Amino acid sequence: MNVRDRRSQSRATTTKKLRKMRRGPFVVIASAAGFAGIVAMHAAGSPPATTGPSTTPTVTPTGASRTAVGTSENYGYGTLGVKVTVRGSRITDISVATIQTAEQYSQQLAQQVIPLLRNEVLSAQSARINAISGATYTSEAYAYSVQAALDTLGVK
Amino acid sequence: MASATFDPTYASHSGRHRRPSVISRPGPAPRPVVAEVATVLAGLGFGACLALAFTAESWRQFSAPGGVAMFLGNLTGLAGTYLALVMVLLVSRIPVVERVLGQDKLLASHRRLAPWPISLIVAHAVLLTFAYAEAARTGVFGQIGAFIRSYPDMLTATIALVTMVAVAITSVYSIRRRLSREMWWAVHLFMYLALALAFAHEIALGPSFVGHPLTRLVWSLLWASSAGLVLVYRFGLPLVRSFRHRLEVVEVHPEGPGTVSVICRGRNLDRLAVAGGQFFEWRFLTKQMWWQAHPFSLSARPRPPFLRITVKGIGDYSSAVSRLKPGTRVAIEGPYGAFTTHARRRAKVALIAGGVGVTAIRSLLEDLPRDCDPVVILRASSTEELILASEVSELVRHRKGRVHELVGPRSDVRVDRLSELVPDLANRDVYVSGPEGFVERMVSTALRLGVSKDSLHFEVYSL
Repeated sequence: MNVRDRRSQSRATTTKKLRKMRRGPFVVIASAAGFAGIVAMHAAGSPPATTGPSTTPTVTPTGASRTAVGTSENYGYGTLGVKVTVRGSRITDISVATIQTAEQYSQQLAQQVIPLLRNEVLSAQSARINAISGATYTSEAYAYSVQAALDTLGVK
Repeated sequence: MASATFDPTYASHSGRHRRPSVISRPGPAPRPVVAEVATVLAGLGFGACLALAFTAESWRQFSAPGGVAMFLGNLTGLAGTYLALVMVLLVSRIPVVERVLGQDKLLASHRRLAPWPISLIVAHAVLLTFAYAEAARTGVFGQIGAFIRSYPDMLTATIALVTMVAVAITSVYSIRRRLSREMWWAVHLFMYLALALAFAHEIALGPSFVGHPLTRLVWSLLWASSAGLVLVYRFGLPLVRSFRHRLEVVEVHPEGPGTVSVICRGRNLDRLAVAGGQFFEWRFLTKQMWWQAHPFSLSARPRPPFLRITVKGIGDYSSAVSRLKPGTRVAIEGPYGAFTTHARRRAKVALIAGGVGVTAIRSLLEDLPRDCDPVVILRASSTEELILASEVSELVRHRKGRVHELVGPRSDVRVDRLSELVPDLANRDVYVSGPEGFVERMVSTALRLGVSKDSLHFEVYSL
C-alpha cells in the first residue's frame, strides 16, 4: 500500500543523508550561548541555596566549655542550625539545635548525613569540610552554621 | 478517469472549463526563518540545561564520596530530559514547523536523536544510584529500595524509567519491524505518560530546581507549553478538522491493478488549506479500521465538496479500503508534508514518479504555474499500472510540458538515464516520489547529474 514510509531504516543512504538538517554549527553556537548565559546569570548574583533568613547566634558560657548556637541556615530542602561546644579553641561537640525539613525524605537524608558531618568537623577542627555527596546543601548549611557559631565564640 | 462525483479536470486551469465557483484554499507558504529560530532556541535551551547542572554544584562536592557520579548523574538527567523534550516537539505537528521542514525530515531527526535521551536518562539513573549508594554507604540494591520507598516522587520516576526503556526497545529497528505499525504506535504513546510521570521527581529533587524557584518555574512552563502544543496540534486540531469537514466516503473506484481511488465528500472544504503534494493521515471509521491511521497523498487538489486519494496496495488494509462503503465516516489529520511548490527554487521543474508515487506528483502539478516547462517521468512495470496517466498528461499539456512513460520490467527499462530524457536536469527543480528503492536511485542519479540539494525534493512511499 502506498503508506508513506515512516519506519524505513534501510540502507537508503542518499535520501537519508538529504533528510539530515545541517544545522550543527547553529546548535553548537546557540548551546554555548545558552550555557554562558546561565553561568553569567548565576555569577551575577542569583544567590546560592545556602542563604536565607538567619537567626542571631547566641553564646552560653558553661565553665571551661563554651557553647554557641550557629545561625539557622535555610538550605532549600529545610532549615538547619547547630550548637557548637568548644573548650579553649578546640571543638569538642556539635549537636543539632534546630532542624526543619521540607519533607520526610530530607529529614531522613539529614539524619543520615549529620553524624558524618559532625565527624568531619570534629576531625578537621574547622567548618572547612567536604560536602557529603547527595547532601550538598545540607552539608553547606551545616558548615555555615558551624562557622557562624565559631565566629561567635571567637574561635579561628 | 472521470467519475460521477469527482471531475478531475474540473479545475485544471484548462481554459475550456468554467473556473469553479468554489476553489480550495492554497497551502500557506512556509517561512524558512522558523527553522532557524527553532534550531537556535533548541540550542540555547540545551546549553542552558547543561549550565544548570554546573551552577547547582559547588566544586567541593567533587572530592566527596560519590561526588563525581552525583554531578554526572544530574548532568545526564538534565541533558537527557531536555533532549526528550526536543524529540516530543519534533513530532508535535506544529504547522509552521511542519510546513518548513516537512514531516519526513522531522521524523528523521526524531529518529536520529532518539538514542541520546534514552541513553542519557538510563545513565542518569545508574549514576545517581551508585552515587547515593556510595554517599550514604548503602548497597546499590539497598539504595534502589530507599529511592522507591522514601524519596518523594521516585516511585513514579522509576515507573517512568521502566516505561521509557520498554518503549525504546520496541523502537529498535530489529524489534520494530516485527511489530505491526499500530501496535508500535500504541506502545509509543506511552512515552508521553512516562515523561509526565518523570516530571515530579525532577523538580522535587533536582539540585538545579530545589531552592531555585525561577528555574523551577521556567522548567515547568516549558513542559506545560510543550504538552499544550502536543494536545493542540496532535490531538485537538485533527479532531476539530474532522468535525468541521465531516468527510464521508462517496465512491470507491478502481484505477488499476490493486489500486483504487477513494472519493470523499465533506463540508467547508474551501476552508481547508492544502497544497498539492501534501498528505493526510486517514482514519476510516468502520468497526475494523477506526483504530488505524494511514498516510495517503491527495491525488488531486480538493474540489469542494470532494477530496480524492488514490491507494495502491496489497495486504488486508488496502483491500479493506477497496471495500469501503459509501457513507463511511472519515477522520483526517493533516495536511502534512513539504513536497509542494513552495519548495521550488528554480523556474523549471522535472517530476519523477514511480508507481503509485504519481499521486503526489498529480496533485502537485495543479499548483505549478503555466510557465514551469514541466518534464514528467512516469515509471510503472505495466501499462495498466500507469495510473492517473491521462490526468497527468492533461495537466502537463496545459503547461506545454512533456510526459515520458517508462513502462516495463525493471531489467528492460533503464530509468537511470535521466540525462537523455531531461538534458537540462541540473537547471531544474526535481521532484521524486515513489517506493523507497526507486526514490533512492533517482535521487542519487540526479545528484550525480548536478542537481543541487536545495532543488531536489522527494517523498518516499512504502509498498
